[in-house]
Amino acid sequence: MRAVSLSLLLAAFTAWPAFAEPCKGAEAQLSQVSKALTVNALDIAENALRALSVSYPDCPEIVLHQARLAQAKGRISEAAGLYYRYTDTNPGDSRGLAYFGRFFLEQRDYMKADALSAAAVDKNPDDPAALVLRGQIYLMKGQSSAGQNLLEKAIKLDPDDPEAQFQLGTIYDKAKAAAQAVEHFRKAATLNPHDARAWDYLALNLEVVGDLDGTEQAYQKGLQVNQAGRYHDAFLDYNYGRFLAKRNDLSGSKRHLDRAVESAPQVRAVWFERAKLDMRLQNYQQARADAEKAHACTQQGGVIDLQIYSLLSQVYARLGDTALAKKYTDLTRETPPPVRGEQR
Amino acid sequence: MTPRKVSTVALIVALAALPKILWGADTGRIQFENRQKGSGINFVLDNGTLPDKPMIDGIPGGVALLDYDNDGYLDIFFTNGASLPGLAKEGDKFSNRLYHNNHDGTFTDVTGRAGLRGEGYSVGAAAADYDNDGRTDLYVTGFNGNFLYHNNGDGTFTDVTAKAGVPGVSSAGKKLWGISAAWLDYDNDGKLDLFVANYLDWSFATSRVCGSPGKRLSCSPTLYQGEPNILYHNNGNGTFTDVSEDMGISRHVGKGMGVAIADYDDDGWMDIFVANDNDRNFLFKNRGGKTFDELGVESFVAYTESGLPVSSMGVDFRDWNNDGKPSLIITALGGETYPLFRNEGNGFFSYESYKAGIGLRSFKMSGWGAGIQDFDNDGYKDLFTANSHVNENADLDGQQHYRQANAVFRNLHDGTFQDMSDDAGPGMQIRAAHRGCAFGDLNNDGKIDVVVSAIGSPAELLYNTSTGGNHWILIKTVGVKSNRDGIGTRIKITTASRLVRYNHVTTAGSYASSNDPRVHFGLGADTLIKEIELKWPSGIIQVLHNVRADQFLTVNEE
Repeated sequence: MRAVSLSLLLAAFTAWPAFAEPCKGAEAQLSQVSKALTVNALDIAENALRALSVSYPDCPEIVLHQARLAQAKGRISEAAGLYYRYTDTNPGDSRGLAYFGRFFLEQRDYMKADALSAAAVDKNPDDPAALVLRGQIYLMKGQSSAGQNLLEKAIKLDPDDPEAQFQLGTIYDKAKAAAQAVEHFRKAATLNPHDARAWDYLALNLEVVGDLDGTEQAYQKGLQVNQAGRYHDAFLDYNYGRFLAKRNDLSGSKRHLDRAVESAPQVRAVWFERAKLDMRLQNYQQARADAEKAHACTQQGGVIDLQIYSLLSQVYARLGDTALAKKYTDLTRETPPPVRGEQR
Repeated sequence: MTPRKVSTVALIVALAALPKILWGADTGRIQFENRQKGSGINFVLDNGTLPDKPMIDGIPGGVALLDYDNDGYLDIFFTNGASLPGLAKEGDKFSNRLYHNNHDGTFTDVTGRAGLRGEGYSVGAAAADYDNDGRTDLYVTGFNGNFLYHNNGDGTFTDVTAKAGVPGVSSAGKKLWGISAAWLDYDNDGKLDLFVANYLDWSFATSRVCGSPGKRLSCSPTLYQGEPNILYHNNGNGTFTDVSEDMGISRHVGKGMGVAIADYDDDGWMDIFVANDNDRNFLFKNRGGKTFDELGVESFVAYTESGLPVSSMGVDFRDWNNDGKPSLIITALGGETYPLFRNEGNGFFSYESYKAGIGLRSFKMSGWGAGIQDFDNDGYKDLFTANSHVNENADLDGQQHYRQANAVFRNLHDGTFQDMSDDAGPGMQIRAAHRGCAFGDLNNDGKIDVVVSAIGSPAELLYNTSTGGNHWILIKTVGVKSNRDGIGTRIKITTASRLVRYNHVTTAGSYASSNDPRVHFGLGADTLIKEIELKWPSGIIQVLHNVRADQFLTVNEE
């Protein structure tokens, strides 16, 4: 990746017009391309960009969208090069900084994403793309009220931004305000039906509000679009498998939990959940194997030691292994239950 | 209508009648009607709440159904709160209440004459004849005082707490926060002993404040230490001895709320289950009346299948799947689901909330009182929960509601239940801050009614008006060698159509409440019981033959 002085880039404060002269006449098409990229309609975007680049060879906006397209298609080096090219020539464009920042975020280069998102908002506090990214970064930093403010502002400016809707949904999800979360995840999923994460979160929150048929439908839609890429959801099968277990569809649950342990084998929660299902299916040997795998995982995924001990004590008791059953029974007794929040 | 349409309609009508034919029982609807208005019962549970919403104000109040005057009809006792922070019953509004059943749907407040106004912040009630004199006595738990009231047989009670030695105080001299109590004869010596479930080490001095001003929330119990439970042994001379330590009870510190008893392993000794709030539940296995082993973890009832505690509150411990093995339902807070544990009969219980169909349905409910009772007399016990969130400001969270309607889940005869609450009549649609509830046949019509206490609103008298015409029997046990109430007697009936049903004598269960001591069985279409087998705590097994249905049967131990 080309080393570019980000500080120089961030220092430039020249206002940049929305569309430079070389793009004149292409505004509507570029706007459609941008929307297509936002909702992951990559083929549409790619075809349009190909035609535009012939008609408007000097239009810098095309470079920006080419960068986004390359990023969406996983061509990382190409995307980086195009972003640098665009931001070098258009350092004052908040959108360029915001999209570049999102690129870094997806590459898990959080420092650069943080810096670029801040610069993007500085340049244009009314740019929805900048506000969404900055809001998301605030959320990641634990500054949820600042993040919420920016996301709400972004949605006011552009209610059709699926990422803004999704991120705002996560705030309500975390606050256990499921009804509001449903509202935003539903919008996010409607605006970008390719976003498996949005369907997953929508399903989780629909379950909480008691709309079980809606939950089922949301999971189904999520599963249909859950492919590798930026909107891939590694826990969709896990969550759907859990839901099916609650609905007593144990074979369906098993099918999805089997997929979950393949897609996230490093996470304790997926093995734990499959072990619980094994217990319901009275497949105690498999339960033992899965519970032990869960025990060995370092990435908890929300499952604490007490839960593992309790499960293992039951598994070994069912298997008649009294020594190990006692070991885990003792550990279960010795491990204090979690201290939940201050209030009910 | 074309002939084809007519025949379709006829087929549908015929199919609708099929369940009756197949099950031999009428699958009429479970219905409840609140007849509080005009009943003379104007009790409103007053929790003495303060703006800061201290822990204590969410916790009352219990209900006891007891026939204190032996006229054959259940009377009703309600516990009440007290002023805060003074913890005193200042004024009538905090008085506990005893209502006499006039046999015509009305009740008379006899609290003053009975001497049951009470003291301090009362919580739970447990009724039974502890001295075998044929009159039902009453134990009342509370935050700053537990009281044993001896029934004098003339409509009055005498506070004998000090003499009896049951003040609810730890061996270190600290008054423990009593919630629920259970009468049982743990050593089968013919005298009822007393178990008291205690909650938190909380006081105004250590009280935390949660939530923001004007939007205070009840603090989590995890902010406080739990307290040990107490077991009092009945000495048979009007006094009791605290045997909590010797019997292996007090070494287990929990946050006890509900308590229920059953002989879950059919060894002839009554066991004790304690529902602990945000802590692991306790199952005290009775080792021949010599000691108790706490086997909650070993039996898989300490936690849910996820290995985590819930806000366990009320509990009932009865056989809901007719296999002769007492199983459990526990109430909890919204977002947790109500745990339903099936007793496998091998020392293990399986968590079956989802399998039984109450998991997703109870997810949004918060519950206190709980009962496993056959409301439609079809021979299959149903579930009832008295619902409300603990937080008066729960509605600040969009998913929670402080005032909730109660719930009834109908047993579908295949190990699953259906939530019938919406169709169970207007009495089941009342949204209130429900707390304890007690189960029993108030009007002696053979159907189990429910009395529910609610903070800040009138208590509900939910008369069971279920349709269907199924048959029933209510059995009153009179122990001779066993304790006089026959508490702990396990009863098995076999009907003419060979249906086998089980239940046992207990007044414990639900939340902070005390139920009808008579044992109820729904019989479906059967009008004759071929055999009734009673296993008394004394070890005596008594068998009756060819008993007709639809009667109140008194069985004397012999």
